[in-house]
Amino acid sequence: MEPIIQVNNVTKEFKVLNRSEGLKGSIKDLFSHDYKIVRAVDNVSMDIGQGEIVGYLGPNGAGKSTTIKMMTGVLKPTSGSIICNGVVPYDKRTLNAQNIGVVFGQRSQLWWALPAIESFNILKDIYLVEDKDYKDMLELYSTLVDMDSIMHKPVRQMSLGQRTLCDILASFLHNPPVVFLDEPTIGLDVAMKAKIRELVKMLNKEKNTTVILTTHDMGDVDALCERIVIIDKGKKIYDNDIEHLTGLFGAYRTLSVSLSKNKEILTKEELEQMETSVSNLLREQWPDVDMPVSIEDNEIQILVNEAFTGVVKVINAVQDKYKVYDMHITEISTESVIRKIYDGSKIVK
Amino acid sequence: MKCRKYLSMIKAGIMEDMQFRGAIIMTFFGNLLYLLLAFFLWKAIFESSDSPVINGMTFSDTIIYLVFAAALFNFMEMWTVWNMGRDIQDGKIVVDLLMPCGYRRLRLFRGLGEVIVNFFTTLLPTAIIVYFISGKAIHLGLNILWFLISVFFSFFINYYIEFIVGTIIMYTESIWGIDIMKEVVVGVLSGAMIPLAFFPEGFKQIALALPFHAIIDSPMTLLLHPEYGLTDVVNILAMQVLWFVVMGILSDVFFKFSLRRITVNGG
Repeated sequence: MEPIIQVNNVTKEFKVLNRSEGLKGSIKDLFSHDYKIVRAVDNVSMDIGQGEIVGYLGPNGAGKSTTIKMMTGVLKPTSGSIICNGVVPYDKRTLNAQNIGVVFGQRSQLWWALPAIESFNILKDIYLVEDKDYKDMLELYSTLVDMDSIMHKPVRQMSLGQRTLCDILASFLHNPPVVFLDEPTIGLDVAMKAKIRELVKMLNKEKNTTVILTTHDMGDVDALCERIVIIDKGKKIYDNDIEHLTGLFGAYRTLSVSLSKNKEILTKEELEQMETSVSNLLREQWPDVDMPVSIEDNEIQILVNEAFTGVVKVINAVQDKYKVYDMHITEISTESVIRKIYDGSKIVK
Repeated sequence: MKCRKYLSMIKAGIMEDMQFRGAIIMTFFGNLLYLLLAFFLWKAIFESSDSPVINGMTFSDTIIYLVFAAALFNFMEMWTVWNMGRDIQDGKIVVDLLMPCGYRRLRLFRGLGEVIVNFFTTLLPTAIIVYFISGKAIHLGLNILWFLISVFFSFFINYYIEFIVGTIIMYTESIWGIDIMKEVVVGVLSGAMIPLAFFPEGFKQIALALPFHAIIDSPMTLLLHPEYGLTDVVNILAMQVLWFVVMGILSDVFFKFSLRRITVNGG
């Protein structure tokens, strides 16, 4: 299937003035021609298919927003090319705008002083949506969210969550093939985040809309994205599905064991003693394998890489020496993997 | 039906403006205050003069002119510079650039609603009041038609100038100083604050060579001089059309150039 968005070897460079320090420096800067080139996006390529939800991740300043701005046509790449719906967005911005929906975190496209429904009516006319399609869309919306409570309230009186919700609804209103959501859940409470994730997921499913999502919230990624693309310092460092991501650093699992009948009354010293002895035990047993031991919630936590040692073997080893009162095994979270990638930024195939 | 999108934006502008009833009332009293001030200032000027006619204008001519000019000036106000500046500073312009409509047109139609409200709250009532208070001193005839045609061009010339000034904010990133400067330059050189007839000859020639006079002076001249022949009328209107075209092209090219500079170099 032909991809709906093709990004080919895109690089974006910015010219920034080298600023000097102090008052004298700022006066000097007024006449300075001392520019340096900053490469915000460095040779990034990706193909995105119709109906995909792609999580576009990266630490602050990695070049996420710059890429999004190029895909929407607000910025022009220094080199490389982008095709979105068969249109080159930065050459035909206005035409491209008809085919996309955009939500930029805190910036609303709604009419500030008017109730949301009025903004929807205006957007309907601006995007030249047919009456019937518009009615159908509103009907679909009312099955997904409680429209009555928000539609007749002026946008300026809305809570951030309600406004974001309306903005997302507004971006899907003209049924565009592609929607860009730039940090949609920023600053929202847990319930609202869940609501928005649910909404995006349903709209994606109903309308087969391609969604490109940037976020710092791994909850968004876990709930929505099958595929994630990670960039750091402008370079793409990961592009695959979420299952592969957790396996990226080996098959890590966390084993937590409780070595006391009543773990709540353990003192810090007792815990630390346990930690050291478990750590020594493991080192004796597997001298070549690094198995970090830590204390969490008055339990001993062991990070096991299953590529080297089975979790069951570790449990047996611990059980041989101690009485285990309680234990549980958890998968490593997406968040910890992403953190490892951001910290290490190594290129992974 | 492509005009649907523009009609809808105008409607939204009207509705948005109506939300702020307080502002409409405040503008009304603000204008009243300005006119009172102008009244006493010009009264003093005429009393200190020996002849009742200065530069070919009587006191009542001057006051009618000033009241009308102020109403016209307020009528055209849609805060383009201010709104563009805010959009540019907080980056909201990105959202507007992603509308399926050119930015200059978007701003125009979003502001047009306010202008329509202004017409009914300032220009029309002022015209009616002045007409009756001045003892029907304004001639009702073809001059009204010329005036209305002229106002159409005035409006666009004013908008294009504001749009150019708004674009400059992309470079300076400060709104206040630029906006004040524009207010003063346009206010004086258009003839909104002082009739051009009172300008010293050299200064008047400069003002007439610039586009600003086409905003207020041209329509006011057509309104208050019903005795002008067809050639005079055509001359004034042709000059306006010329500035309309020139400023239209200039504002479009300058904005596109500036936008390209920013999208290429980042901003």
